[in-house]
Amino acid sequence: MQFIEKIRRYIRISEIAPISRRYFVMNAFDGATTILGIVLGAYVAEISNESWVIWSGLGATLAMGLSGFVGAYMTEEAERERKLKTLERSMLKKLKKTVVGKASRFASLWAAIVDGLSPAITAVVCLTPFFLSSCGLFSIDSATKVSVAMALSIMFLLGVFLGKISNRNMLIHGIKTLSVGLIITSILFMLKTIQ
Amino acid sequence: MIKRLILDVLKPHNPNLIELAEALSNIEGVEGVNAIIYEIDQQVENAKIIIAGNSIDFENVKKKLEEMGATIHSVDEVAAGKIVIEEVRTPQDRAARI
Repeated sequence: MQFIEKIRRYIRISEIAPISRRYFVMNAFDGATTILGIVLGAYVAEISNESWVIWSGLGATLAMGLSGFVGAYMTEEAERERKLKTLERSMLKKLKKTVVGKASRFASLWAAIVDGLSPAITAVVCLTPFFLSSCGLFSIDSATKVSVAMALSIMFLLGVFLGKISNRNMLIHGIKTLSVGLIITSILFMLKTIQ
Repeated sequence: MIKRLILDVLKPHNPNLIELAEALSNIEGVEGVNAIIYEIDQQVENAKIIIAGNSIDFENVKKKLEEMGATIHSVDEVAAGKIVIEEVRTPQDRAARI
C-alpha cells in the first residue's frame, strides 16, 4: 500500500500522467495497426499457416516494445534531466536525492514502461485468435476475421478514450481512429483483388 | 521544547503546498501546520510556514523539508518553553520606527 502511495506521489510530482496517457494511446494504436497490417498482409499473400502470422506478429511486438521502452526512456530521461538542472539552478542546491529527483527518475522509467507495454499488449490481444487457431479452436480464416475485428475495435476504443479525455464527442473520435484501420484494410483488400 | 516555528521556505512548484504541509504535519511532535505562498517565480515559490506542536524537533522539520526539495531561507520566529509567548510591542519598537 505504501509502495502504491509512493508511486502515486511520484506520478503527481513529476506530472507524468498526461504524458504517459499520450504514450499509451499513440503506441497502443501503433500495436493494433501493425498487427492489422501483418494479418491482412498474410491474408493477401494467402498464407495458410498461423505460425507465420504468430511469429511475425511476436517479432514485431518485441521490436515495438523494446524500441518503445528504450526510446521513451532515453527521451524522457534527457528532458527530465534538463528540467531538473534548471530547477537546481533556481533552488541553488542539488535535488537528486530529494523527492523531486526521485520523481524525475521514476517518470522516465514509467514513461518507458507505458511506451513499451502498450503496443505489446494490443499486439498480443490482436494475435490471440491465431494462438487459438494454432490450438485447433479456430480455422485460420476465422482467426483472420476475428483478429481484424479486434484490431479495428481497439482502434475505435482508443479514439473513444481520446474523446473522453478531451471532453469531446467520443463517437466522432472513435470513428476517426477507426477510419485509419478501415483505410489500411481497404488498401490491402484492393491489393488482394489486383493480385 | 519548541512550540512554534515560523519559517521562510523556498520550494519547487512540485511537490505542491498541500503535500508539503501534509508531510510536515506527519512529523512527530507537530500538531498543526499553516503554509502560505507569498511569492511565485517561474521555477520556484516562497512559502511562509507556521508549525505548531508540543515538542517540535527542528532537525526533523529541516530534514523533511530537504527531502521534499525545499530549502529554509530563514527561521523567522521561534516560540519555545512551557508556554507560548506572543510578540509584544515595546517603546523601543516605536522608537525604532521613528
